[in-house]
Amino acid sequence: MEQLAQAVAERVVTIVMDAIDIDAILERVDVDALVRRVDVDGVVSRVDVDGLIDRVDVEKIIDRVDVQKIIERVDVKDVVDRVDIDALLEQTELGSIIARSTTGVASEVLDVVRAQGVGLDDFFARWVNRILRRSKETLPQGPPTLVGPEATARLATPELTTGAQ
Amino acid sequence: MATLARTRPIEGRQGHYAGAVSRLAAFAADVGASWGLFTLGAAALTFSVQLVSGGHFSPTNHPLGSLIAIVIWEFFYFAYQWALSGKTIGMALLGIRVVRTDGSPVGARQAIVRTLTLPFSFLLFGLGFLGILTNRDRHALHDRFAGTAVVYSWDARAARLRWLARKDPEGAPSPDSA
Repeated sequence: MEQLAQAVAERVVTIVMDAIDIDAILERVDVDALVRRVDVDGVVSRVDVDGLIDRVDVEKIIDRVDVQKIIERVDVKDVVDRVDIDALLEQTELGSIIARSTTGVASEVLDVVRAQGVGLDDFFARWVNRILRRSKETLPQGPPTLVGPEATARLATPELTTGAQ
Repeated sequence: MATLARTRPIEGRQGHYAGAVSRLAAFAADVGASWGLFTLGAAALTFSVQLVSGGHFSPTNHPLGSLIAIVIWEFFYFAYQWALSGKTIGMALLGIRVVRTDGSPVGARQAIVRTLTLPFSFLLFGLGFLGILTNRDRHALHDRFAGTAVVYSWDARAARLRWLARKDPEGAPSPDSA
């Protein structure tokens, strides 16, 4: 008798379940309200995070990461540009290391003489350019193999410089 | 050094055409160096001749010989150094060097032609040097003959790093504020 009741019950449940539209019921359920009632902290506190991490194969995950692709997406030039060299030298031992390895009265004097020379070169070049009514941007900076093709390409394509003047 | 603190070194000029002042200063330094070395050599020669012969010897008593010796010495002073490293003593001091017009190192031929044609730039009150100021690629007359150019060779960025490393972080003014 009991077995009969069990069989009937299972059959009834199956028929009822087939008849119910689960999707329609779920659409009527306010999931947000349901989640709000869940004690997430309580659930998380019951999770053994250490055990979970121990079960994770980090090496395998790293192996699946395409590091080269990530590096290619990083704008290294932009990162370097954002580095404040002055601050770096002032705040680290790097400055004193460079100073110890390269300083000397002779090099200091040379730096001064050369810097003054370049400054005066620029001064005279500016005035000559003004007199000759030409822009510095239209002039080649140096030989092609030393300054790169873009700096000397101005010679070949003067029309490109017109807009930059 | 206070002067450097007021003068911010110009960065990134390696390979750029050198200007007239740097080139003129380098040439003046070379004239001084070559004459100084020649005088030392002449003194050593005089001393050696007097030591060996026991008699009196002075190069000033042989003006033609002295003139020829000076011309040969000046030729070797410039040509040898340019052919060897592209720079003379004066150019090394000012941080400039001679290269071919395409930027490659000069060879013996360019060095010799440049040395031989250098006097032509002095003609007509140094008109041949005017090109350093007026030409687009700052070529003097002897550069045109030899197919050479003069460029900056000193590392201004390294000089700036040295300056930053040397300066007193609390007391020294920033070059940006100069």
